[in-house]
Order: sequence, then C-alpha cells, then structure tokens
Amino acid sequence: MRSVSAGFSPVAPRERRAVLRRAFVDSLPVLMGYTTMGFVAGVLLAAKAGLHHAPLWAFLSSATCVSGTFNFAVVQPVSERVSVWSVALMTAGINFRYAFYGFTMLARWKDVPLVRKLFLVHMLSDENYALEAACRYRKPSANLLYCLAISAMNLSYWVAGTTAGALAVAILEGALDPEAIRRCTNGMEFAMVALFLVIFTDQIRGMVRHASK
Amino acid sequence: MHQNEFLYMFAVVGAGWAVTYGMRALPFLLFSGRDRQLPPWVERFGNLVSPVIIAALVVYSYTGLAWRTPWPYIAGALTVAVQLWRGNPLASIVAGTALYMCLLACGCQTDAQTLSYDGTHPLIRFTARGIKFQDEYVSPAEAVERLKKNKVPTSDTIHVLVDPEYTDRHGLWVFQYNYLGSAGYRRVLFVNERKATSGVMRGGRRFGR
Repeated sequence: MRSVSAGFSPVAPRERRAVLRRAFVDSLPVLMGYTTMGFVAGVLLAAKAGLHHAPLWAFLSSATCVSGTFNFAVVQPVSERVSVWSVALMTAGINFRYAFYGFTMLARWKDVPLVRKLFLVHMLSDENYALEAACRYRKPSANLLYCLAISAMNLSYWVAGTTAGALAVAILEGALDPEAIRRCTNGMEFAMVALFLVIFTDQIRGMVRHASK
Repeated sequence: MHQNEFLYMFAVVGAGWAVTYGMRALPFLLFSGRDRQLPPWVERFGNLVSPVIIAALVVYSYTGLAWRTPWPYIAGALTVAVQLWRGNPLASIVAGTALYMCLLACGCQTDAQTLSYDGTHPLIRFTARGIKFQDEYVSPAEAVERLKKNKVPTSDTIHVLVDPEYTDRHGLWVFQYNYLGSAGYRRVLFVNERKATSGVMRGGRRFGR
C-alpha cells in the first residue's frame, strides 16, 4: 500500500513517460560533466592518496557524499593522513553552500513523503539543484517525479565515473610502473582548483548581476 | 596496514557524509512544519559568505600545486576566462587542467622551482611502494642527490614522512646513516602520522629515538 500525500496524485503513464524522457534529456550535460569529472576524481584518489583499496573508497565516498568538491578536496588531506576531525571541518567549509540550496526547495517539497525527501536532500548537489530549480513542471506530482528521476540519474553518473577512474588506475598499476602513472597524471590535481575557480566565478557573477538589478 | 586504512577511510567517508548531509538537511530541520519564509538576512549572509569560503579554498588548494611558478596562475586565468565566456563548467575545467598539465609536461616547472618544506610538507616520504621525493618515486641515492641539487643546506633538519604501511625500520636506519649522513645531512626527523621520532647524529653517535 503506497501512501500518497495530498497533492501527489499518481502521474498518468503517458505523462510519466514524457517527464522521464524530459529528465533524461536534461541530464545529458550532467552525464558528460559527472562521468568525466568523476573519472578524474577517481584517478586522483587512486593515484595520489596512497590507498590500497581506492576503488572501494571512490565508490563509497561518491555514493554517500554526492559532492564533487568533497571528492576532489579529500585527496590531499587523505594522502597526508590528517585527522578525521580536520576532514570534517574542511567538509563543513567547502560544502557550506549546500545549506542554502534547501531553502528554495522548502515550500516545493513540503509534502513529499519522508524517504523520498531524504533522497532528494541527499542529492542536493550543484548540478542537480540547478536542474531542479529550473524544472518547468508546475504540477507537484510531475515535479516530484522529475526531481527524483534527475537525482537517480545524476547519482548513477557520478558513482560510475569515480569508480571507473579509480578502477582504471588500480588495473593499470599492475601493468605500468608507478613512475609512468605519475607522469601521466602530473598536473591533473589542477582540476580541483579549476572546479573551485568555476564555482567562485559563478558566485561573483551572480552577485554582480544581483547588484545591477 | 590494511586494517588501518579501512578504519581511517570509513571514518573519513562517514565524516564527509555526515557533514555534507547535515549541511543539505539544515534548512529542512530549521523550518520543518512551518510555513515560514526564508529571512532575508540568511540569504544575504549566504550570498556573502559562500564566495569567501570558496576563495579561501582556492588559496588553500594552490598550495598543492607548483605555486611558486607562474603556471598555475596562467591556467587559473584561462579557467576563469573560459567560464566567463562560455559559462560551461566542464569546458572551463578541462581547458584549465589541460593547459596546466601541458605547462608542467613541457618541463617549464623545473627551472623556477624552489622547494618549500616543513614538518607538514615533508620532502621525502617512505611508502609501502618505495621512497617518494615530493610526488616522485626515487631511489635513496637519488633522493639525497635531489636535496643537494635543490641546495638544501646540510644544517637543515630533513623531515621524512613514514607511512604506517612502511614497517622496515632497518631501511630507515640505512637511509639515515648510509645516504643522508654520508652526504652531510645529520639532522633527520622521521614523522609517523602523529608521533615523531628524531635522530641527531654527532660524531657518528646517535641520540634520541
């Protein structure tokens, strides 16, 4: 027996298909971004963090903290084996911005059943939020279906990307010597800095636009 | 030690998850069951504080790059320029990273490089797979050669980070005496995560440990 809250009447099959197709098409840019960025994050974790089971950690960390910034930023501290408290503090700093995403979704997700709401909150990443905020479906049931579909798709892209990257290094490590891997990945750590620079640029641009309005 | 890695990484992933999820759930916890609007000061505060935090992150993450050379700044400028031009994060990140990797691969790095080292950024590291000088695997002789080549004074204390997976104490001893000691580096500090063991040689005798 499925509990249906007020405003979340089931979506008709035809509309359901349309919403899912729309969600998939909208998620294609994220597919490109998440798989490539995730791959780089996985490669970095496996090549630079000095771990024996990097693919496992890449999979777990990307599935739990669905946060590109975390997956990139955690590599350097882990390679230095800093304390878990420092990692927690750093995470709070870099992911502080997520606290502001939920505010705009408060009214929209007010009546969403608990488990689905927990999943939506779990997936409030930059790209996911941007798509959900721009969603054109006004009807609550269609909107919720769109958000859930987008979240599930983006999660699978991100997890697949990071795990594939870490696995690639783990497999190649047996075939190639560490020096060759080091030479090929030298400088790749700039991707994390570039990610921060991009977020920063967008934030400043948003502020300038907001001020000029 | 594998078990150490499992404990450590479970804790790291767990902490990351808890904090990240907490951040995302914060507004829902604060405003649960209430039809309240977001106070304007919260929004203004967020708009102001997030860029500051990200800016601090940019500065911190630059310390992991070859920050004494101009290359990361050139790549950074390209990243920002592409982002302003196209507004496509993936394109900007790929462009900046590719340029940085090319600049490093061209060998532009070696000339202008100066070493920065202290207790938290040891030059030499003993891993389970071998000796690392900065990010490169080297032979013990090569590690000492690089110290010489980079004009690290023999009066300096050489910090050596020893991974918990590296258990060969004899190897450390040989490195300290046969390699560093014979090259004139008499002050060595082995750093092992939290606790440090030091050895200072005077006239061939050893104190501390």
